[in-house]
Amino acid sequence: MNEKTNKKGFGAWFRDNWKNNALFSTGIALIVMVILQTLALGFNYASFGEWFGAWINNWMNILRNNSSVGIIALGMTFVIISGGIDLAVGSTLVAVGAITMTLIDAANGGWLGAIGLTGAPAYIVAILISIAAGIIFGGLNGLMVTAGKIPPFIATLGAMKILRSVTQQFMQSSSPKVPTGFQQIARVKVGGQMFMPILYWLLIALVLYIVSKKTVFGRHVFAVGSNEKTSRLSGINVNRVKLGVYALMGAVVAIAAVLQVSRIGAMDPANAGSGYELDSIAAVIVGGTSMSGGKGSVVGTVFGMLIIAVMNNLLNLLGVPPFLREAFKGAIIIAAVLLQRKSSDN
Amino acid sequence: MTLEMKGIYKSFGANDVLRDVSFTLNGGEICALLGENGAGKSTLMNILGGVHHADQGQILLDGKRVAFQTPADSLKHGIAFIHQELNLVNDLAIYENMFIGHELRKKNRFLDSAAMIAKTNEVFKKMDLDLDPRIMVRDLDASYKQIVEIARALLMEASIIIMDEPTTSLTEPEIRRVFDMMNTLRKSGVGIVFISHKLREVMEICTRYTVLRDGNMVSSGLVSETSVDMLARDMVGHDVRTQSLRREKKIGDVILSGKGMTLEPHFRNVSFEVHAGEVLGFTGLLGDGRSELFQTVFGAIHGASGTVEVEGKPVRIRTTGQALKAGVGYVPRNRKENGIIKDMSILENGTVVTWPRDSKMGFLHSKKIEKDFDDLEKELHIKLGSAKDLIGSLSGGNQQKVVLAKWLDANPKVLVFDNPTQGVDVGAKEEIYDIILKLAEAGVAVIVLSSEAQEIIRVCDRTVVMFHGSVQGELVGDEMNEQAIMRLATGGQV
Repeated sequence: MNEKTNKKGFGAWFRDNWKNNALFSTGIALIVMVILQTLALGFNYASFGEWFGAWINNWMNILRNNSSVGIIALGMTFVIISGGIDLAVGSTLVAVGAITMTLIDAANGGWLGAIGLTGAPAYIVAILISIAAGIIFGGLNGLMVTAGKIPPFIATLGAMKILRSVTQQFMQSSSPKVPTGFQQIARVKVGGQMFMPILYWLLIALVLYIVSKKTVFGRHVFAVGSNEKTSRLSGINVNRVKLGVYALMGAVVAIAAVLQVSRIGAMDPANAGSGYELDSIAAVIVGGTSMSGGKGSVVGTVFGMLIIAVMNNLLNLLGVPPFLREAFKGAIIIAAVLLQRKSSDN
Repeated sequence: MTLEMKGIYKSFGANDVLRDVSFTLNGGEICALLGENGAGKSTLMNILGGVHHADQGQILLDGKRVAFQTPADSLKHGIAFIHQELNLVNDLAIYENMFIGHELRKKNRFLDSAAMIAKTNEVFKKMDLDLDPRIMVRDLDASYKQIVEIARALLMEASIIIMDEPTTSLTEPEIRRVFDMMNTLRKSGVGIVFISHKLREVMEICTRYTVLRDGNMVSSGLVSETSVDMLARDMVGHDVRTQSLRREKKIGDVILSGKGMTLEPHFRNVSFEVHAGEVLGFTGLLGDGRSELFQTVFGAIHGASGTVEVEGKPVRIRTTGQALKAGVGYVPRNRKENGIIKDMSILENGTVVTWPRDSKMGFLHSKKIEKDFDDLEKELHIKLGSAKDLIGSLSGGNQQKVVLAKWLDANPKVLVFDNPTQGVDVGAKEEIYDIILKLAEAGVAVIVLSSEAQEIIRVCDRTVVMFHGSVQGELVGDEMNEQAIMRLATGGQV
């Protein structure tokens, strides 16, 4: 028996990882997707250089277009691992975005202009205030969940309605302009590509990866999500951990909001960020994080986001009608969960 | 109706649970079925209730031999079993619960609520009970829930009712109410089997008794001809008092004390002190409130009155984190729910308590954490493959040691062990006792909560015995023996 287990062939190694390592199976799925997408892009180019340029271009588009949801999904990973959910992220994005734009409005100088703050200092202050606002919005969700003992689904559903509605009312008579200087935060080009949103996404992913693996807070999030009772009886302040998770979510959404304002130069209070909550949850789920909490990873969420994004791109390249693309997205979410259930049962 | 169970044998695998047990019950009497946990009471009654089948022996009802294949069979013959965990749906009204599974319908197949309410009222009238059948079960207190179960048994025309520890979760006035109901039924000719640990209650309500021990019938007779002492001795057996494990004691100052601690309905006016180097036991029967008491001390349950002092200084512990800082640790009961984090590794489970200490600016000091756990793994003889494996890969005993490890690493001044040997094998049990005693020798104040008298006698210097949330008495050193503990735990005096 020992010999048998010692001499594991590639097949056994693959099966073992496929079953027990969620990151492995999502990684494989991602690689398959990328290969299919590369094939779909075709090789009908004059030179390798031209093909490579087109390939890179295509990828930059994918990454950039998904950077906002991708960033939000990173925060959502923490929320879901802690055993919660946040439906308010899209509305928080639009509320924070409205605050950012109002602070630096190019049309009339904005609130910061009114106190004599312009240019780069104003942008920095605006970003800090926006992130603080995100933390406050997230923290309020956290308070409802902890002190108010309201189930996260309901608390954040309420917050989702309130934030969007109030933002729309507040913004109906004003349409602030984003100064071109502020737009450079996302639009400055690196090697001819609008690379910054991708860079921010990867940076935040790296930071949150470290938080999830190496910090007391990160590990407490996993502990609380897996077994709240044991966590409490191990001296963990469960409410503080949950509050922290929602506040972190708010901060991450605020960063996404600032980037979106900068990248697009405008924000429609009625539609911006709508659907982000479910898209980010989908990325987290496809990335192998368990809805019941306690299990998951930041890297998995990056993979999950990429799988969905690459598939979208693939469907686009193949000329699948736009209305049908959501159906594929739905199918891949269901498939991912079926796959994960199989691996946890065995 | 007269019930006779004759020469019942039952084994599960190689384990003989019942050997040649006989039991009789006449209509119009309440018979106590007594015994320690694992004595075979439940198995015997499950055979009567159609849940298990006897390997040998016969059941006679009014002299006629019967065989029950299922609980429904047994109910058809007029035998109703009211389990300890009541079988009621909180979100339905009383009358709906009464008819669950046998609902009355009108001709058009819709439910006939009026008929069900009328029938329920009829049964209540027979029981001399003034209760509106339309009240939601949720709004009833525990005694009325018990009574609704009895009513349901009567609705099914039961003439024999088995009640498994019906008073465990009841308060004193609630117990009165259930007892009054039982007496009413007895007078109307129903036979009741009363399974209980509480000898004082047995003396009060029962007419006859049968005692089981290790699957054998030890004694049986009229309650009027016995005493609490005699019953306690029959339940425990004669060869009690196993050797104490304590050798030398160096008892120091008072480390933890509680004064006048009350949290209804769990415990009231409890005071205690425990010294450095001492092992203090807290024992009693299910529902005595000891676990809630120490979860309160540990900051996991809130709302109690009374004061707690650590090393003579009053402390207000509102969260478990504050308890940890004050030097109070708590190893919980029910390892699976309260002790382990199933999605985490052995290493993480064994160090989770001390992460805040072993970190800098919020970053975990993983080298120190791994080394600390490595030391504890050796000290506690935890058998594991890799510390990075999931906690579920370990046996129950080793899991329990990991749960101990996380608290030992925190170096508490007081450590409370709640049912520390639950679900571990004999070998691991002895090792856990060694750990407890070693801690005491190192000057830690140790509190052991256990319902196993043997365990208390063997590891503790002193024990508090609780009964229904109050301190019933305290036994020191050689005063601790199973009869004395059983007497106090069942509400008697030493």
